[in-house]
Amino acid sequence: MKLFEYQAKEAFAAAGIPVPASRLVTDPAQARAAAAEIGLPCVIKAQVLTGGRGKAGLIKLAKSPDEVTDIAARLLGDKSRVITRLLVEQAVDFVREVYLSITVDPPSGKVVIMACAEGGVDIEQLAATAPEKISRTLVDIDQGLQAFQIKNVVFALGLAGGETGKQAAAVVRNLYGVFRKLDAELTEINPLFVTTDGQVVAGDGKLSIDDNSLSRQPGYELSREYFDSDTEFEAAKDGIPYLQFDGDISLMCAGAGLTTTVFDLINYEGGSVANYLEFGGPNYRRAKEAMELCLKNDCKVLLIVTFGTIARADVMAEGVVAAMQALKPRVPIVTCIRGTNEEEATATLRAAGLTPLFDTEEAVRKAVALAAGGKS
Amino acid sequence: MSVYITRENKVLVQGMTGQEGSYWTKHMRELGTDVVFGVTPGKEGQAVDGVPVYHSIENGLKEHPADTAMLFVPPKFTKDAVFEALDAGILKVVTVAEGIPLHEMLQIRKAALACGAMVVGGNTSGVISAGEAMLGMFPYWISRVYTPGKIGVMTRSGSLTNEVTAEVVKAGFGLSTLVGVGGDQVPFTRFAEVLALFEADPATEAVVMVGELGGTMEEEVAEAIEAGEFTKPLVAFIGGRTAPEGKRMGHAGAIAAGGRGTAKGKAEALVRAGAGVAARPREVGPLLRQALGV
Repeated sequence: MKLFEYQAKEAFAAAGIPVPASRLVTDPAQARAAAAEIGLPCVIKAQVLTGGRGKAGLIKLAKSPDEVTDIAARLLGDKSRVITRLLVEQAVDFVREVYLSITVDPPSGKVVIMACAEGGVDIEQLAATAPEKISRTLVDIDQGLQAFQIKNVVFALGLAGGETGKQAAAVVRNLYGVFRKLDAELTEINPLFVTTDGQVVAGDGKLSIDDNSLSRQPGYELSREYFDSDTEFEAAKDGIPYLQFDGDISLMCAGAGLTTTVFDLINYEGGSVANYLEFGGPNYRRAKEAMELCLKNDCKVLLIVTFGTIARADVMAEGVVAAMQALKPRVPIVTCIRGTNEEEATATLRAAGLTPLFDTEEAVRKAVALAAGGKS
Repeated sequence: MSVYITRENKVLVQGMTGQEGSYWTKHMRELGTDVVFGVTPGKEGQAVDGVPVYHSIENGLKEHPADTAMLFVPPKFTKDAVFEALDAGILKVVTVAEGIPLHEMLQIRKAALACGAMVVGGNTSGVISAGEAMLGMFPYWISRVYTPGKIGVMTRSGSLTNEVTAEVVKAGFGLSTLVGVGGDQVPFTRFAEVLALFEADPATEAVVMVGELGGTMEEEVAEAIEAGEFTKPLVAFIGGRTAPEGKRMGHAGAIAAGGRGTAKGKAEALVRAGAGVAARPREVGPLLRQALGV
């Protein structure tokens, strides 16, 4: 679960990591009042989960009260995306920007701290062009973060020595604390500012909590604002993996890898995907909920591909037929349901008037042709 | 012949009295797996399919030697169950649990590396040596998928593996062993580690790898081939070549970000290493025939 910047900064502040003074606001008048409290100039930052906010014009510097109101009104009124909250934040006078992040390193089974003396930049680009500039410190999760490791990270940040070095060391230690305590998948400070008077302050904040650990992180609950669409939010509440796209073919498949492969095949065949939905595993008896989600799309075809073993074909076919009877979809349905008890599944689908297919690529081509026919 | 699980292995089953545990224990035994005892705390003295149950691995081992542990244990208790097995000196452990907390995954991976154990999973169907024995949940009676033969399979998926394996069988081949390393972000055993088993197995003539976007496991396989550590033919299918960056495609581990972990990058690395790479599942069979010269 990816959190908003303001939530990451709340977590940072609670752990003793310095962050600029800020207020979370929801309308231009509040923004103006917040700026008056914090002082000008200030930075107004749209609270959205997409990356590259600076380039997209979603982070703006305001120098006067009127400018604050104008920027806030413009961001909140942006029709191209949903922005409901802004962070009004003290502008920081900095002399340096560095990069610090913590995530998992699957091959070693350790935590990895990544540090770079050049921050505020596109770190992924730097990783591709000059990977030697990014240091990687592996931490044994049972031993915990050691003093020598903190020292090495601070050296890599180029901040060793003096009061700044001490503060940077505290940030590294406390960020590791946030990572462990909140069961994070990733936490990142980019940029980490060094101010004109030598203070170290988190300019931005990313924090992503491991989905498998959410039940023991009660501070964070799913809500609509974490999702791009209503359907994605509903699917998440239902526990059904779902991604929204804007094409013609709605995928109602079982098995993550197989659904991803069907997604590829549709693109290869020149079709377009309306949504990715996967109702295998624990959800294979929930065809009705799955179909309901799919039909919320303005799709032209519903494509059902499964090859389940534990997720039995006969159960999924019965579920599909029951869902059709309950939901009466107006779009054609293409099925390719195979696996455990597929003979019974085939009989069930035929009895319901469907023409079951058994070859994934044939099913994909049929769906693509139907979708194209529906357009003309 | 096969790797990881054979009829010689003595298997203990943790969580054997549960619904899935009891159902799949019966099927594991039907195929030929030698299940020697089960473990469920509080249920010592009971039996499942004639196999005795003990409170702990320690108690069970007093009566029955074992070398392999199969876990049907919920994700919250998986770390504890794996540690109990490792603590008892068991060096092969398979866990099917989906939803293990990420930081506990690190602890499991690290503990396995530290004691030289091979823990397979989570979020997998398990390991099956076709026609011989299995650890996990495979409907081995579907011959279109589980025909015995000489091809080793390693995979991150379930249903997609059936799709690909059916193509392997259709091309006239069968399976030696299928190892599901699972769809999580931190697989406890990685593809390159399974590859070493297949390299050493005289009955495995070629390997099919079913990979997908996310992580670095497929790149590590390309490196192993380039370093001469794996010398048999390998054919790969990588799902998610048209997946958008930053989207998690079903599996927890299936996400590419910042240009890393893309299916395209993986396919390119494998082609450079000389592996056959199928763009579609149906190309796997012909590529395998070509690689084996049949």
